[in-house]
Amino acid sequence: MKITEEIIRKITLDTIKELGENATPELVKKIVNKAVEKLTSEIPSNNFEKPNNNFDSGKIILTAFGLNHSGIVSSISSILAEYNCDIQDITQKILQDYFTMIMIIDISDAKVKFNDLRDSLMKVAEKLNIKIFIQHEDVFKFMHRI
Amino acid sequence: MPYQFDEILETIKMTEVEHFDIRTVTLGISLRDCFDGDLLIAKNKVYDKICKIAKNHVKNAEKVSSIYGISIANKRISITPLSIPFDSYKSDQFLELALTLDKAAKEVGVDFLAGYSALVQKGFTNGEIELIKSIPYALSSTERVCSSVNVATTKAGINIDAVNIMSKVILDTAERTKDKDSIGCAKLVVFCNVPEDNPFVAGAFHGVSEPECTLNVGISGPGVVLQAIKEAGNVDLGSLSEIIKKTAFKITRAGELIGRKVAELSNIPFGIVDLSLAPTPAEGDSIADILEAMGLESVGAPGTTAALAMLNDAVKKGGLMASSYVGGMSGAFIPVSEDAGMTRAVENGHLSIEKLEAMTCVCSVGLDMVVIPGDTPWETIAGIIADECAIGMINNKTTAVRIIPAFGKKVGDKVDWGGLLGSSPIMPVRKLSSSVFLNRGGRIPAPVNSLTN
Repeated sequence: MKITEEIIRKITLDTIKELGENATPELVKKIVNKAVEKLTSEIPSNNFEKPNNNFDSGKIILTAFGLNHSGIVSSISSILAEYNCDIQDITQKILQDYFTMIMIIDISDAKVKFNDLRDSLMKVAEKLNIKIFIQHEDVFKFMHRI
Repeated sequence: MPYQFDEILETIKMTEVEHFDIRTVTLGISLRDCFDGDLLIAKNKVYDKICKIAKNHVKNAEKVSSIYGISIANKRISITPLSIPFDSYKSDQFLELALTLDKAAKEVGVDFLAGYSALVQKGFTNGEIELIKSIPYALSSTERVCSSVNVATTKAGINIDAVNIMSKVILDTAERTKDKDSIGCAKLVVFCNVPEDNPFVAGAFHGVSEPECTLNVGISGPGVVLQAIKEAGNVDLGSLSEIIKKTAFKITRAGELIGRKVAELSNIPFGIVDLSLAPTPAEGDSIADILEAMGLESVGAPGTTAALAMLNDAVKKGGLMASSYVGGMSGAFIPVSEDAGMTRAVENGHLSIEKLEAMTCVCSVGLDMVVIPGDTPWETIAGIIADECAIGMINNKTTAVRIIPAFGKKVGDKVDWGGLLGSSPIMPVRKLSSSVFLNRGGRIPAPVNSLTN
């Protein structure tokens, strides 16, 4: 079922009837909005496949680059540990003086939202003077696997 | 590790170094149920519907962009060609609607809303002629509304009367926006065989066969293709085409993923991915640079059309497998002002309108963002449009003209709009007259290749 204009019109008319003399445009608008919101939250909004929109779970890929110095891996992993993020795989290379690390991290049980995790990591990156990117795993799956 | 080190670095390099972004996620909204005899009610219906459906469009796009680390350059809206639901309206009423659309676009935070359009390839209805008359006023009094008019198709032929009217509309729009280098014309496209699901503004609209609402994606990525070609070195053309195909596959996959996720978040059906390489004025994000990396001294050199044909075809072949639904324009864009390499070629005198016309035979769009002298007669502009339409009509493809007769400017002058629209020198136009031919008016009949049944 979808909320059609007819339903909204009916709700509006009922509201006006109910309110009688007290009806003002603002009040009616407020009540109707509330009613419609309630209806939309109750009704499964459509019939096409329900997606997995929970970006705060699943695997993410962390990539870190920068001039090599001590403490990079430990600073990053301690943040991840603090938030209960599970490091599932890690690979690291040093090319001349440059440090590159890629981690696959499961954030399903993490105590943090994706964007907050990114903000924390950005602070670490700034302190260590390196670059850190985190991206949901899907983008790599889509681009590099058929 | 399920992914190779190089694969992950390649993706990061694309997004961070090579300007890879999703050019546009465009939300198509049908306004067919918004008609009302009372203009005020119609305006409210239009405004409310756009605001309701597009309320979270920008927010959702930004969220998806942040999760995947791929930026989405533009979030836009396309609507049903306005002349269709509001066919009984007069010019001044259309203008009022344009102002409402502008307000709605501002409210939901999109930079452009397209669909101030009419489809007149076979003739005009009363509403269509009224809408067309109002275009110069609408484009000069709004900031975000874009307009397009389809004047020809393979099945109907070329409506030369419409071509003539549109040429005058273009000149009028140029004059009315003369303070801003005739920017109004940058928001006005004349089409042949217009696609109904094109996500790229200014020519976007939500076609009559489309659903209630839908989300279409336009990919980008000339920078990524350029880098891949540079890294390939001296290989033969077959191998080069293979490299372009592989790159196009990857960027299209990313486009498909982003489009589907934004659509899911907004709870709107996903429409199509448009496989177009869309340049920007940013250095390195240029189709001209790609053609030059393929081995031409400059765009405009003999061989340009062949190189472009190969590039366009390879992008389609790669992209086709990457997406379940391909649509829109799907072809490389060759705008002059929006592509730094093209602008450079024009500045150096390497590129003429005639060469551009040849290039449009093998890629999408047509004469795009071409700036010509402001005193060009309407018959000449009509001739240019008719030529482009003929290419589209005979070859069963989309062609378009987005031409800017910069008011008060001559060959040797320059216009500069900044941002994504870029800048361009004024291109010379042939002074030969086509007046008698165009003043005959009427319609060029549909060609023999329209008889496919």
